[in-house]
Amino acid sequence: MSFVEFWHLIIGNPILNVLIVLSHVLFGQFGLAIIALTIIVRLVSWPLNKRQLKSTKAMQDMQPKLQELQKKYGKNKQKLQQEMMKLYKEAGVNPLGCLWPMLIQFPIWIALYQAIMNALATTPEHLLNLAHRLYSWEMVSQAIPLNSQFLGLDLGQTALQAGVRGLLLAIIVGGTMWIQQKMTQAPSVDPRQESTQRMMTMMMPLMFGFFTLMFPSGLALYWAVSNIIGIVTQYFATGGWGYLRLRSPFSQH
Amino acid sequence: MKNAKIIFLIVISLFTLLLVSCIPGSAQPIGGWSGATVHDNTIYIGSRDGRVVAINASTEVIQWSYHITEPSDGIGCGPAVVSAAIFTTPIVDGDFVYIGTYSGKVLALNTTARSQNLNLPAEPQDRYHEWETPIGTDARNTAIVADLVISGDVLYVSGSDGRVYSLRKDFGDQVKKSGILDERHSKLWTSPVIEDDTLYVSTFDGNIYALSAETLELLEWSFKLEAGFASSPVICENTDTMFLGSFDRHLYAVKIGSDVLEWRFPEEPAGNWFWASPVVNEGIVYAGCLDGKLYAIEADTSREIWSYPTEDQNGKPSPIVSSPVLMGNLLIVVNESGTVYVFDLDGELANEGVPWWTTSIGAGVRSSFCAQEGLVYIRGEDNQLYIVDIGNRQVSQPIPLTAEA
Repeated sequence: MSFVEFWHLIIGNPILNVLIVLSHVLFGQFGLAIIALTIIVRLVSWPLNKRQLKSTKAMQDMQPKLQELQKKYGKNKQKLQQEMMKLYKEAGVNPLGCLWPMLIQFPIWIALYQAIMNALATTPEHLLNLAHRLYSWEMVSQAIPLNSQFLGLDLGQTALQAGVRGLLLAIIVGGTMWIQQKMTQAPSVDPRQESTQRMMTMMMPLMFGFFTLMFPSGLALYWAVSNIIGIVTQYFATGGWGYLRLRSPFSQH
Repeated sequence: MKNAKIIFLIVISLFTLLLVSCIPGSAQPIGGWSGATVHDNTIYIGSRDGRVVAINASTEVIQWSYHITEPSDGIGCGPAVVSAAIFTTPIVDGDFVYIGTYSGKVLALNTTARSQNLNLPAEPQDRYHEWETPIGTDARNTAIVADLVISGDVLYVSGSDGRVYSLRKDFGDQVKKSGILDERHSKLWTSPVIEDDTLYVSTFDGNIYALSAETLELLEWSFKLEAGFASSPVICENTDTMFLGSFDRHLYAVKIGSDVLEWRFPEEPAGNWFWASPVVNEGIVYAGCLDGKLYAIEADTSREIWSYPTEDQNGKPSPIVSSPVLMGNLLIVVNESGTVYVFDLDGELANEGVPWWTTSIGAGVRSSFCAQEGLVYIRGEDNQLYIVDIGNRQVSQPIPLTAEA
């Protein structure tokens, strides 16, 4: 069995078929199925998310102390790093703790992305290929081919083709991604890192906004919903807007 | 630690780029599955690189080819103009070969002028009455996937906007267009069939509609099924019954004019969709299924006479994507792995479902194929034409379709 076959068997096909069943259950609305599955995946991965958010919160709480260290050892990079590590150790915080849960969830998000693309079956070839990935459940048979219309958007078409609605979707995707990133990214104590970080915070939303225009709207819907859920869980788990309202220590200078 | 986070974000960004970029507009197919047709000792075929190719059937030499191009809607790492994807099999009528493209255009090419290598003007309309007509304003919504149908002076085209269009076959002018037949999917990827001035169309939302061939207006009769239809209907003229496959893994028989389903086959769902249109011969329906089996079913009763599991070179079931073809008393079936099965319907093994001869072309097959005078013409997914000589039981050297005339 090749890796691709194994991937489909273990994760790809189950997610694809569940997505199609959801579409059938939710009044034949594929858009609702995408929203529902994104929420389900978020719920299933909640323990991992929680750990990630906890780690982020701990990092957030340590910010005043980190800024103090920055003021104290700003000129001595090596000493600063040492003191920071000491602080992390004392607080029992692993700075990479928020990354591992993300890495573990990554395959699930890729499978979800692939499932949406496959289920949309935008071309005849995609539709034919879909036949080999489906379970013999009656609900799946009755749902195929899926209705790709949702809120005036054709989820199989690019946002660019959808006109104003598509543009709005691109803004939502970019905007929500920016908010989510701002909420989770702690301001850096290093000015150079701070500048790179600021660039990344701008670049990612712009890039995904651009992808939204170029790729099927179904995928953009998934990005938007995923970001919104991320913002909401982040808000409630960390008790506020996190770093969104926190200014960088360098912006004062 | 910040570095790790930034590196992680960069890796994710690059991975995402890798995942989604350089895909030439994910809604844009590559290749298509146009099949072959033979007319007047010439094989006409649509290639995977967007060409209409004419091949001399005797010499197996390419006479001419015409490259159809369209603007790319990719992200930007590809060329501005790409070859059109062709899913329709060319049809020949008089001096013209007609073909539809995924970019929503119908073309009529003058076979006589092109085979004589006449100096063709640049503009299609000046080329000996050749024409090129988009069936709608937005190419993406009017992609042509189903085979074109000709009746009298009119060409019928199914569009991906869910409508049927009728065009004048001499100049390509649009005569009529139907209403949207499939509101839910806005796609019509099945061909209409014509009987007695009526067009019958099956849709993805499980409807069969009857339309006036002249006005393309809906007629009174229609038929509704829970699941969508995967194949175009085939009509048995003697009984006015149409047979068509569905996404619910059944084959259906529907009597024209009746609201009651004649039958559905099999009792329990088959292994996969009945994607290809079946063929009917002397009261028996031969249907290929994506589960790899060929089924022979009594047209009146839906009783299974036999079924034959086709396989690939490794002995695994291989889907039947192309419709079976009848040539005299021979039934020819080609599965997706390129294995060709010939059943002798008059032979001793006719009722047992045992093939008379089997061979392999060594390439995948998704296109429709044709058979004439003992030869079977098959376009492989490797963009080559294979000719199977049934009498001599051999497969000729494949003809590459990418070569210029």
